[in-house]
Amino acid sequence: MNSQDKIPTSKVARATQFVKAGVKVGGNYIKHYSKKILDPSLSKDELHKDNAADVYETLSNLKGSALKVAQMMSMDKNLLPRAYTDKFAMSQYSAPPLSSPLVIKTFRQYFGKSPSEMFDKFDLKAENAASIGQVHMAHKDGKKLAVKIQYPGVAESISSDLKMARPLAVQLLKLNDAEIDRYFKEVEERLLEESNYDLELKRSIEITNACAHIPDLFFPKYYPEYSSNRILTMDWLEGLHLKEFLATNPSQEVRNKIGQALWDFYDYQMHTLRMIHADPHPGNFLMTNDGRLGILDFGCIKVIPDDYYQNYFALMNPDTLEDDARIQKIFWDLDFLLKEDSAKEQAFFSDIFKQMIRLLGRPFDSHTFDFGAEGYVDEIYKFLDYIANMPELKNSNSARGSQHGLYVNRTYFGLYTILNDLKANIRTTKPDWVTPKHLKA
Amino acid sequence: MTKDKIKQAYVEYILEKGTQPESIYAFCKKLKIKEAAFYEEYTSFPQIESEVWKEYFLDTITSAQNEEVYGTYSVREKLLAFFYTWVEVLKQNRSYILKAYEGFQKPIYAKRNVQLSEFKIAFYDYINELVLEARETKEIEQRPIPQLMQRYPDLFWAKTLFILDFWINDTSKSFEKTDTMIEKSVNTAFDLLGHSPLDSLLDLGKFLFQNRRA
Repeated sequence: MNSQDKIPTSKVARATQFVKAGVKVGGNYIKHYSKKILDPSLSKDELHKDNAADVYETLSNLKGSALKVAQMMSMDKNLLPRAYTDKFAMSQYSAPPLSSPLVIKTFRQYFGKSPSEMFDKFDLKAENAASIGQVHMAHKDGKKLAVKIQYPGVAESISSDLKMARPLAVQLLKLNDAEIDRYFKEVEERLLEESNYDLELKRSIEITNACAHIPDLFFPKYYPEYSSNRILTMDWLEGLHLKEFLATNPSQEVRNKIGQALWDFYDYQMHTLRMIHADPHPGNFLMTNDGRLGILDFGCIKVIPDDYYQNYFALMNPDTLEDDARIQKIFWDLDFLLKEDSAKEQAFFSDIFKQMIRLLGRPFDSHTFDFGAEGYVDEIYKFLDYIANMPELKNSNSARGSQHGLYVNRTYFGLYTILNDLKANIRTTKPDWVTPKHLKA
Repeated sequence: MTKDKIKQAYVEYILEKGTQPESIYAFCKKLKIKEAAFYEEYTSFPQIESEVWKEYFLDTITSAQNEEVYGTYSVREKLLAFFYTWVEVLKQNRSYILKAYEGFQKPIYAKRNVQLSEFKIAFYDYINELVLEARETKEIEQRPIPQLMQRYPDLFWAKTLFILDFWINDTSKSFEKTDTMIEKSVNTAFDLLGHSPLDSLLDLGKFLFQNRRA
């Protein structure tokens, strides 16, 4: 780790690295997933398991929050060297799925009944394993249900897992202990929320009701009577995961329709609800051939604080970039610039951040945007690689960027990557105040 | 006064007073029965305790077997179901068990406690049958060392006491850590007793030994 006396000169770099990490977090496993599409040897796996389309599959040996941390810290090989991934895999979470007796016990504990008494049919073998729980299929009154069961002790282990991951993050991201704190706090909060199924149930119902009016979206119905602290029951949604969906060669029209639904969903959450489904990985979306999009898993929700919202979307409006005084203020507000920076560093970083914002804000600078157009998402990744390898940044060791950006960036990257995979050409609707003047004329 | 009622009164006494009755005489006086009537059923307090533990065990077996899927379980799952049900039964009696535990010689999985003797006998009947079944289903590998194979029931008994000890000291919410412990330790046990790399190694060693050059 860099010693203290180095900090004044190189602080700058660390920030950007973390911005990059945050940004890449969402994108990377999706990128990884798209690589899998191209790799035929992996597609065989896919045939065996329903859920192999899900990127978690590659990590199915990892469980609990260590997996989540690994994701948060980005699954990119550059950021998370193989040795560390292996270490994670060997941790206590490489557990087999819950045994049938434990599944039954969990039901008895929360409902006083076994699953076979509660449902007409309950499959004791899990359909798939996610990071903190597993999903079973059940039938009740002719309806097919998905029942998610959380591994015991997950909630208790989150804080200790993060402590374990911390030195790793410090090393990988070259941040010092004190600075990484606010990011870790942010991650810990989200993870604790994710392990709280009562909260997830409440939010799922809330958000799915609020978004019910958006065309071409469908959500599962949630069943409070069959849910508890560690069990969550919802409708079993039919549809294809992104990879399987693309394999059916959907028409451009259908792809646009789904892409539009996805954009509208996020547009509404971000600008109206101010809370977003912050886990846009392909496993959480189901697509149908008539152009509808099903949305799963409201475990990871980021509530957007007001001042962060104002600053972030002010940046997305290209007009703001013309107003230098304003943009400087925003950079300060969002912790992109730090008071220890020299004038030269400030200029340097402002320039980099502006380039980045121009790139990320591009879909906001027109009425429609073709995410299928060659190279937009690649360009983003290239730019991130480029800044990560800048010597000024490499040796910097301070954290830059608001902690709220961690999940917001991850969400937008996930969103862009899926739209890119869909090759969707969509109307990039946005609120009036984010719309640049030239589009209003 | 039936056997059950004496037992019931004894458990209540422990729960309320926190200690054993001073003597069988005092206990009988309180129950308004003749001491001789007591001796017709029990000869000592630890014997009552022993009966209580056995009852927990029998309740557990009945309740586990009532689960309709029990019959379709593998031996590994049967044992898991047994432990999960057992800790549920224990949970309903935790106050009494914590008191009774105070009178145990510790660590309980290493020392002999007469209070558990009836439970132990019943458990061995049960586990012997499961081990036989597991050998049939090949969940437990036949090993060429009979002395080791004969010890398997002892291992499971020690594991049972270990789980009890863990559960008594467990402070996690709804004893979730005990659940995790059961899951992991039973799986580990069967992974070790089942066909493992060691068996392949022994097999190879045997083959090489038999075919060694003179």
